[in-house]
Amino acid sequence: MELLHANQLTKKYKENSVIQDVSFTLEHGRCVALLGPNGSGKTTTLRMLAGFIKPTEGTIAFNDESLSRDFRQHVGYLPQFPVFYDWMTGKEFLVYSGQLAHLSKSEARKRADELLELVNLKEVRKLRISKYSGGMKQRLGIAQALIHSPKLIILDEPASALDPIGRREVLNLMRELKKDSTILFSTHILNDAEEVSDEILLLNNGNVIEQGSMHELESVQNTVTLKLAFSDEPKFIEERLKEIESVFKVHRVQDDFLLTVHDLQTARKQLLEVVHNEDWQLTKFEVAKTSLEDLFMKAVKE
Amino acid sequence: MQWFVIFKKELLENWRNLKWIWVPIVFILFAVMDPITTYYLPKIMDAVGGVPEGSIIDLPMPNAQEAMMMSYGELGMLGVLLTVVIVMSTISGEIKSGVYEMILSKPVKFTNYVSAKFLSIMLIIIISLALAIGTAWYYVMILFGTIDFTRILMSLFFFTLYFALIVSIVIMVNTWIQSPGLVAFISLALIIIFNVLTNIYGHILTWSPALISDYIGEYLASGVLISELWYAALMAFVFSIVCLQFAIVTLRNRVLH
Repeated sequence: MELLHANQLTKKYKENSVIQDVSFTLEHGRCVALLGPNGSGKTTTLRMLAGFIKPTEGTIAFNDESLSRDFRQHVGYLPQFPVFYDWMTGKEFLVYSGQLAHLSKSEARKRADELLELVNLKEVRKLRISKYSGGMKQRLGIAQALIHSPKLIILDEPASALDPIGRREVLNLMRELKKDSTILFSTHILNDAEEVSDEILLLNNGNVIEQGSMHELESVQNTVTLKLAFSDEPKFIEERLKEIESVFKVHRVQDDFLLTVHDLQTARKQLLEVVHNEDWQLTKFEVAKTSLEDLFMKAVKE
Repeated sequence: MQWFVIFKKELLENWRNLKWIWVPIVFILFAVMDPITTYYLPKIMDAVGGVPEGSIIDLPMPNAQEAMMMSYGELGMLGVLLTVVIVMSTISGEIKSGVYEMILSKPVKFTNYVSAKFLSIMLIIIISLALAIGTAWYYVMILFGTIDFTRILMSLFFFTLYFALIVSIVIMVNTWIQSPGLVAFISLALIIIFNVLTNIYGHILTWSPALISDYIGEYLASGVLISELWYAALMAFVFSIVCLQFAIVTLRNRVLH
């Protein structure tokens, strides 16, 4: 089911447009990664969806009309660099942001306790935020985004600035959240996107380049990479491989040969035929998945 | 409801950073400083010495109203300066640090945000002014003579309106610039321009809020509330609302970078 549709969003600061005609649809219960190099307009897009900057042109429409007015009530947002009132305790901040989102004090307290448990900050709930570490602040930021049980959770670079442990914690948390909410998060770390997202939105220079699930994006790519290795390397192997009709490019990485082919079926058949005829000692034959990185590099360069 | 949440948060913040302690104390010091030193000046000069033998220094002792006016004068200068310093980062600081983005992502109404901040600051200012004027009144009564309580109360009321205008101006400037120091500078510049204009065109601008403390002096002496004082107070009130409204509109249209 469709949650919201962004239609031709454009954001201009003076004459420069940061975002140009960005359109996409978010489905209920999906975890969508917004990918793009720095300066591609990720933060601007997220801020527009969070409802506190207005697009210069275009519309954001929720499937449920009643949500469309001030939709900040239904969106939880974690900024790229979350900053809190340092003089508050973690729990106080959660209760405060809950009350700002029109929860009663008792509701906000109850919800804050649940979330402190979820993000594993229960022990430090009575500590001033000024004493929190970067990872703790990030988790507190996620908790404040969830405090009013929003329909959509928007996280701007939730794991990018953290150390490996903090990053792992946040990714695990996202995997947990994904079970019953819709998440849109931005990142430039491709591994993170690959790990937790169901769907990818690729942004460059303020435009959406690709959208789809990992699987769909792979099939869009019309080339496949094969990985080959030999125990006893034949002479002129690289040249010989290149001679094969269906092989489009050969590239050597240490002992592995990476072959770019267009059609997997014919390439496999032809290759194995040659291997058999020439009696090459094949030790590895792998159909490599197009990694997100390849996709990303390819799309961004175009 | 949301308004009250923000208001309470501001009160708590000002309690934790001890504004509730030091602002009243400093205001009291400003207010009692002049009457007391004026009273004891002859004695201090005697004790310190250095005055040539036989010279007669005749320092006219002010009456109670004049002594009270000294307090108002100091509060009107130093008190205003301190107020500008207190208010200079109330919004600009939050925008600069980034916590504003966090607050903005919740359905916060700008009207609530600005007016709750304004009133929480006014609460400190009103209580500090009341304590300061009250203490000054006490010393004036002991050292110089009596002043009617209603005159003190009425003058405090008008003085508070003057401070409301100062706070509103600084809040408005807060929404223009992110640097608290620059906010203070520009606010002071605006207040000084306002005062200078009033001094130059005083005969036309008889309703100018900058004249409130002059009128208070006249009122303390005569006990007659002239209509100009009421109009100046009304102007202070109207301009406060206008400044706050400006602040709200500026925040609403603000571009976040």
